[in-house]
Amino acid sequence: MTRTRKPGLSRRSTLALMGAGAATFAAPWVARADANTIKIGMQSILSGPIALLGTSSRNSLMIEQDRINATGGFLGRPIEFVFRDSKGQPQEAARLARELVNTTGCELLVDAEASSGSFAVQEVVRDLGIACVHTNSETSALTADPKIRAPTAFRVARQGVHDAVAGSIYLAEFANTKKLNKWATCSPDYAYGRDTTAQYLQFFKQFKPDVEVVTDAWPKLGQPDFTEVITKLTQAKPQALFTLLYAGDLSAFVNQGNVYALFSQMTVATPNVDYPVLAAIKNLPPGIQSATRYLETFPDTPANKEWGEAYFKRWNERPTNWSWQNSLAMQFYEQAIKKANSLDGKALAAALTGMKVNTPFGADGTITMREDHTTIGYAIGWGQTTPKEPFIIDVKAADWGKIIEFETEWKKQQKYI
Amino acid sequence: MREMAVAAIALIVVLAIPLLHRSPAFEDFIIRLSAMALFATSLNLLVGNTGMVSFGHGMFYGLGAYAFALTMQMTDLSLPVAAALAALITTFAALCVGAICVRLSTDYFAFITLAVQMLFYSVIISWQSLTGGDQGLRGGIPRREIFGFELASQLHMYQFCAIVAVLGLLALRHISTSPFGQTLRMIRDNENRASFLGVVLWRARLWAFTIAGAFAGLGGVLAALFVSGAYPELADWPNSGQAIFAVMLGGINSFLGPVLGAMILLALNDVVTRFTEYQGLVLGIVILAFALGLRRGVLDFLKLAWLGYSR
Amino acid sequence: MDLSALGACLTSPACVVTQATSGLIVGMLLFLVAAGLTLIFGVLKVVNFAHGTFYMLGGYVAYSTLAATDSYTLAVLSGALAMALFGVLFERVLISRVYGSNVLMQLLICYAVVLIFDDLVKIVWGPEFHAMGMPTAFQVPPLFIAGGVVPPFYAVLIAIAALIAVVLSLGLSITRFGKTVRAAAINPQMVSALGVNTTLLFAIVFAIGGGLAGLAGALAAPVRSLSPGMGFSILIESFIVTVIGGMGSIAGALVSALLIGMVRGFGTIGFPRFTDGLIYIMMIAIQILRPQGLFGRRA
Repeated sequence: MTRTRKPGLSRRSTLALMGAGAATFAAPWVARADANTIKIGMQSILSGPIALLGTSSRNSLMIEQDRINATGGFLGRPIEFVFRDSKGQPQEAARLARELVNTTGCELLVDAEASSGSFAVQEVVRDLGIACVHTNSETSALTADPKIRAPTAFRVARQGVHDAVAGSIYLAEFANTKKLNKWATCSPDYAYGRDTTAQYLQFFKQFKPDVEVVTDAWPKLGQPDFTEVITKLTQAKPQALFTLLYAGDLSAFVNQGNVYALFSQMTVATPNVDYPVLAAIKNLPPGIQSATRYLETFPDTPANKEWGEAYFKRWNERPTNWSWQNSLAMQFYEQAIKKANSLDGKALAAALTGMKVNTPFGADGTITMREDHTTIGYAIGWGQTTPKEPFIIDVKAADWGKIIEFETEWKKQQKYI
Repeated sequence: MREMAVAAIALIVVLAIPLLHRSPAFEDFIIRLSAMALFATSLNLLVGNTGMVSFGHGMFYGLGAYAFALTMQMTDLSLPVAAALAALITTFAALCVGAICVRLSTDYFAFITLAVQMLFYSVIISWQSLTGGDQGLRGGIPRREIFGFELASQLHMYQFCAIVAVLGLLALRHISTSPFGQTLRMIRDNENRASFLGVVLWRARLWAFTIAGAFAGLGGVLAALFVSGAYPELADWPNSGQAIFAVMLGGINSFLGPVLGAMILLALNDVVTRFTEYQGLVLGIVILAFALGLRRGVLDFLKLAWLGYSR
Repeated sequence: MDLSALGACLTSPACVVTQATSGLIVGMLLFLVAAGLTLIFGVLKVVNFAHGTFYMLGGYVAYSTLAATDSYTLAVLSGALAMALFGVLFERVLISRVYGSNVLMQLLICYAVVLIFDDLVKIVWGPEFHAMGMPTAFQVPPLFIAGGVVPPFYAVLIAIAALIAVVLSLGLSITRFGKTVRAAAINPQMVSALGVNTTLLFAIVFAIGGGLAGLAGALAAPVRSLSPGMGFSILIESFIVTVIGGMGSIAGALVSALLIGMVRGFGTIGFPRFTDGLIYIMMIAIQILRPQGLFGRRA
């Protein structure tokens, strides 16, 4: 019987293939040497429904990179950001943090993850002892809880509890003026949504004891259809609605709410509307009470306006809350590195604690990094939306004295202090 | 015996590498591979060996991770005890879930395991007070000492995970080549014949499901060690998908296929994230190349190619 | 859990009608989205795990067409047709190679397509979400029908979904084409031996299934957000609908979708944080009691 040529590879080529495969796999693990540049690792959510968080952070950091390199970099060495996308997955965030430090040789970290990722990164930072600034995580526990706080990790993002106090004071006043006693809440059903809503309500009730929460709705994050939630809300007939929905979810909610004429039946308050979201949501109803995530006109200073315009000029879109936070992180790093004259985690930690920087984003032109590794003094304001520039008007600045007073009380309640 | 020799050699090689060249990235890779190898190989006990396609295997991986992390955070039990406890809890859960699911035929089995996993995931997310909800368990796992391994050190963690993985795989191999394993394959090939021969189908399937769940839980323990915590993503549907892909890519008919598949997926992930943010595009093309080009897992393909010239 | 609120709602006629109506709306939208998936499985025995991608692309195509032509009708048609075409390509190039294969092979290929197109969408339209906005024709206040609030936009969508349900089930059972398709599903060789071009047949079925998904995406686009990766939650939803209803049964998909809609409509009042869980429990219960689904046929 003649032997037909069998399909498939010969033994030799099979071996060759396996060898090539092994080499390809091994290649990334052989560390690459690089001399002078300081690599700074930045990881965030660069895809998915909340991609705006990561992309606007990255935009800001690119501007900072150019600015800092133009003035000689850090310690005379140019800086270079290495960006990674964790897609919002905590175990990927942990892996990326380790990879950025261990393989790519990053000497500093800018963690632009959202809350869930930031806790994962925190553990890696605790293990590795590298300097890290969290720029987007708003969950207070990251720094307030002494069990979770890490020696070399700091946060420059706004804090949930600060916003809750400031927002509640404003909304209580607003509700008292307009006689809005019946409220409803609609927030995404995950830790941020639940905890922050609870925080707001806790303080709200303190400032306006006669508020009545007639109903609450908890759609899932990323839920495509809000119909049954909207009808539940309209039936309960609240006078006002507090919602923590954001980005794509908020847009869908607005569109679906418009179909039910929701916004003509109740006033809406939300702390979460960023510029690009305001621009992207079609048919946005006016008169939504909102916090100023980033606003060029608040603080109303030339420095702030200049920063906002520069960002717009470079990226052709307005900065978000995440943009200014990342910019602030680099300002802190810049000053701390100069002071400590080193990139070492412990040295930077010592320098950063208690540090005050001059910055356009401070309520009074400065922001301070507190002993518990989180910032205070940044501009928080509330106003109402309008369908065109600057999108939020009648902005009232928050009272930091009150914020800190109630924050301390809250920390005692949570047994953090 | 031969398996023990192979395992010993593999272990010696893996443990020797850091002595020659320290590469934190490689060590991280092996740590993650250990977890995933156990996960994927345990799944193949169901898929490749018994013909039971489970879409929900991730729930045991996640359960192992959470049980372990919670035990470490809430009690002072030592690491091996906590790990054993986690594996035990997962085994028990697999037994319960299996009891409900194994009587269903293939397609429906896949769907119901998926439904149970989704329910489990939704419970993790809702039970915020215990599990931390969608943020996972925060605060880290206290890095303790075990048998002289200081797990705070990456090298020791690497060694520990490699040893656990090799031992676990050895155990799975033993089960797979045992008469019980052969019974499973008989069920996969022709369940009627198997039942005519006196095999109680549902009991064998339940055993397989339980054992698979137990080893997936062990993989979860290693995963929890790596991230120093536990996250709901470990128990989510897409993670079950990862195990399925590892099995398919590596070879459903080879014992080490899933390990190879896991290696490929993890390496691709690591390498591609470094060069482009469009990992999905690259991964998708690679998967299509495997699925359409090779039409079988790599190890299966290599075995056939090798054997093609052995006559 | 808020059982008192649920009780209060069930005893109030206005609440019952309103939530039932919104349940109806939610359900019909679910059916619209899931119809394509169950059709393809029913006929080709292929689980189209890329179903969500068809939906997503249908939405994006509609979005771009609307931006270019300002016509909602054109936008919807373009979304549906583009996805019908894509369905044919997908079937011919990829799916046809794995007919009869292990379901995991099918899953693998579909998953690869999902990954590729999620990134392609990111490249073409950008990673951030887009909102199509309600066409001006529908920017009118809601109607009040029988005490329930029915927005005109949804009324149109419900009508379309109902039409599709009728056309599909009648089409499959009464028309010659439908009968051929069902026969080919049971015994392709025999049907082919009888002179029917089964290749063309299967391609057409995939075109219809894909086109339906694209149509759903385009129709829902005005009220939903478009972002890469949105297909995933749609796939899960559709999957649950078809598993509970019975893979391959149009009637089953309709009943199951309405059932889920009602569970959500009233679940959001009684179990606001565990509504999902309720649906999974329902799915498990059906799988145990009647694994082939409500209207499925035992394999």
